[in-house]
Amino acid sequence: MNKRSTVARGFSAASLIIGALLVGALPMILAGQSTTLSSDLLGKPPIDSWPTYHGDYSGRRYSTLKQINASNVKNLTLAWMYRANLSRGGAIVGGEGPDTPPAGVPATASIKSTPLVVNGILYFSVPDHVYAVDARTGREVWHFAWKTRGGDHIGNRGVGMYGNWLYFLTPDNYFVSLEAATGKERWHHEIASMKREYFSSNAPIVVGRHVIIGVGGDALDIPGYLESRDPESGEVVWRWNTTPRPGQAGAETWPGEYEMSSGGGMPWLPGTYDPELNLYYIGTGNPQPVLTGQSRPGDNLWTCSIVALNPDTGKMVWAYQVTPHDTHDWDAAQTPVLIDGVIDGRPRKLVAQASRNGHFFLLDRANGQHILTTRMIDSANWTKEINAKGQPIRNPAKDAIVAGTLVSPSTGGATNWPPPSFNPDTGLFYVGTSQTYGLFYLTDTDPRPQGWAAAERNMGNVGSALKAIDYQTGKVRWSHPLAMTANGSTGGAMGLLSTAGGLLFGNDGGSNFVAYDPLNGKPLWHAGLGVNTSNGPQTYLLDGRQFVVVGAGDTLFAFSLQ
Amino acid sequence: MERGRGFVFSAIFACSAFAVGPMSVGILRAQQSVPDAAAIGRGGELLGAQCGFCHGTNARGGSSGPDLTRSALVQEDEGGRQLGEFLRVGRPDRGMPKFDQLTDAQMSDLAAFLHDTIRLVARRNLYKILDILVGDAKAGEATFNGAGRCATCHSPTGDFKGIGAKYEPEVLQGRMVMPRGRAGLPSGPPRPPYTEPTAVKATVTTPSGPSFTGAIVRLTDFDVVLYDQSTGQMRSWLRNGDVPKVVVSDPLQAHVDMLSKWTDADMHNMTAYLASLK
Repeated sequence: MNKRSTVARGFSAASLIIGALLVGALPMILAGQSTTLSSDLLGKPPIDSWPTYHGDYSGRRYSTLKQINASNVKNLTLAWMYRANLSRGGAIVGGEGPDTPPAGVPATASIKSTPLVVNGILYFSVPDHVYAVDARTGREVWHFAWKTRGGDHIGNRGVGMYGNWLYFLTPDNYFVSLEAATGKERWHHEIASMKREYFSSNAPIVVGRHVIIGVGGDALDIPGYLESRDPESGEVVWRWNTTPRPGQAGAETWPGEYEMSSGGGMPWLPGTYDPELNLYYIGTGNPQPVLTGQSRPGDNLWTCSIVALNPDTGKMVWAYQVTPHDTHDWDAAQTPVLIDGVIDGRPRKLVAQASRNGHFFLLDRANGQHILTTRMIDSANWTKEINAKGQPIRNPAKDAIVAGTLVSPSTGGATNWPPPSFNPDTGLFYVGTSQTYGLFYLTDTDPRPQGWAAAERNMGNVGSALKAIDYQTGKVRWSHPLAMTANGSTGGAMGLLSTAGGLLFGNDGGSNFVAYDPLNGKPLWHAGLGVNTSNGPQTYLLDGRQFVVVGAGDTLFAFSLQ
Repeated sequence: MERGRGFVFSAIFACSAFAVGPMSVGILRAQQSVPDAAAIGRGGELLGAQCGFCHGTNARGGSSGPDLTRSALVQEDEGGRQLGEFLRVGRPDRGMPKFDQLTDAQMSDLAAFLHDTIRLVARRNLYKILDILVGDAKAGEATFNGAGRCATCHSPTGDFKGIGAKYEPEVLQGRMVMPRGRAGLPSGPPRPPYTEPTAVKATVTTPSGPSFTGAIVRLTDFDVVLYDQSTGQMRSWLRNGDVPKVVVSDPLQAHVDMLSKWTDADMHNMTAYLASLK
């Protein structure tokens, strides 16, 4: 541990105390629990629970638990496993769809949600399904199955919790609330139109009396929005459109209303929150049409941006665009991770993002002031320059054309939705990356192209790695290559968890769940799970025993010390 | 979104191992309907005749009318019902006349065309790559024999004889950039990537025994599994640091190295040259 990280931690503790004082006046969340949890979840994950998507509000995915640590991790072993069953038999059934799922609905689960743990019960979801499982034993408490009308079933990020109530979103765009104790439905509200190709995969985040949800969908040119919903009624409290309307700030970066009101910018992922500043941070999606910008000259605000909103009003306080005028599907939805750190000897409240466009960004989270931008993969070939604001400016020659352009990274990006991690003990930001190439062919030459407007052909990956980035310099401190197959390098973006036990949990791209040494990337422990981990790992301590839980495909695995 | 939201193309044309992780699964879209080609055809003609002047013949907006394919009313419509209700009244205050002479069947045809147009936008796995032959075949030939060093391994009279007649330009270009496995080729029966001649290989040497070379089934920090393509045998070893010794060799290393070197113009020229080898 170096001097700087000690300073960083000292500041973090100080800000927590201030934060705790400030939020004393705010409404409590989870107030109905026997264990009352305050809304001050910034950088302070409770040890016996994991009450929100990232564990706390900071998005660091860092736990202070250290029962499992570098010296004993070799004894980590399977405590229980739970396989997510998609059968409606034995489940509590809700939903508006037909009794038989429409064609195309997957037959097996893929767990992408980070489970919550509250009062010893673990809650997680896959599209159309929510499960409550005993966090000590893996025994199913209840299973709720939603009769879907359809929608893209690519994934579900998880559930949110307020008091004794759970919230989740469905691929057919319902906002559903359940009783946590029984799995019984309280109500559901439709939040977007499936016919317009909206689908919903986000995990609701509860801030005060706001349940914050975002919509998804990029098959058609539709507008993105984020909503606050009332936890009691589920009604809309506010809506923030991710692209402006005529006359609003940012409208000057679009040709006109037609383009901006169909301009995408989906807030795909849950955000982070600083109770002291009372700011909610989200990353927005890419503009529409996806792979060509010919009909939307301009920067296309507030797409591909890190945005700070007042959660009480839904008003934007500041925004920083990490990809002006994106033309490669590189949304900036990746977690804006809150770091209380030190820059130039001064304590700063920071927000960092390892972005899909291949760059690492560090901003002042009070005002959005840019601090640094660095490139995190070598293969990226799409930028012309980093401008004075720290924004990578695209080389227009790397836009899709009819004859094809060879671009790195491919549309999947240098990284993607799986949550990264920041460890205040090491001062390092951890992220799974890959160096893919794609051929981008323009297929829609109309002056008003639509949808994706281009086709992509994948051209391989020249090297996936787990990387540790020094937040103060943006430089890669270490890079650990991931697995190989007959097709070359594999894996990349992965869910990560840091703990005070000197461990970094992630995968290796080769279906192993791995505990890495956070200082150098050396693997300390692993378990072969048959498939790669598919969600963000999380941890909690119950009855004196620390568990680490991770999803891989359709199964949750819980590990503890023997 | 999801990120890395689905790549149907990847699933079809590239090896899944190229994909960037758990997010790269194919799009699973639940709602499917079978389009009625005749109704769509009639609807398209009707649109051209009745609506095209203002809304454009492809319905994406024209001189005075908005884009119908992005219209929420059209997208929300079910079988022409809502569209029909709207058209019978119009929006005269905004210059949109009523079309009350259209029959229910015509409304339905119009809706069929519009919904199909929207469907073709939304289903990117159906997008057709256009004519990509824009390069200069002569320049491509020079690169083939010169800086590209393609002639080190390939010959227009040997392995590439008649290749331009055998494959579409898009396949030629894709296979030229990255000919791994069956990527870009017409799909045949699926086979494991380690059975392909282009599989990445490794040689494992144990401290006590002979070395073994084979295609990589998997290589992690903890184990290595190789496949001997001549015998069909698979072997695995646990790894402990540098023991056993593992040396990776990629038969496509020249193509991998080229990924960061290609200019798009060189690529187009080379594609034109390969396409000329009829």
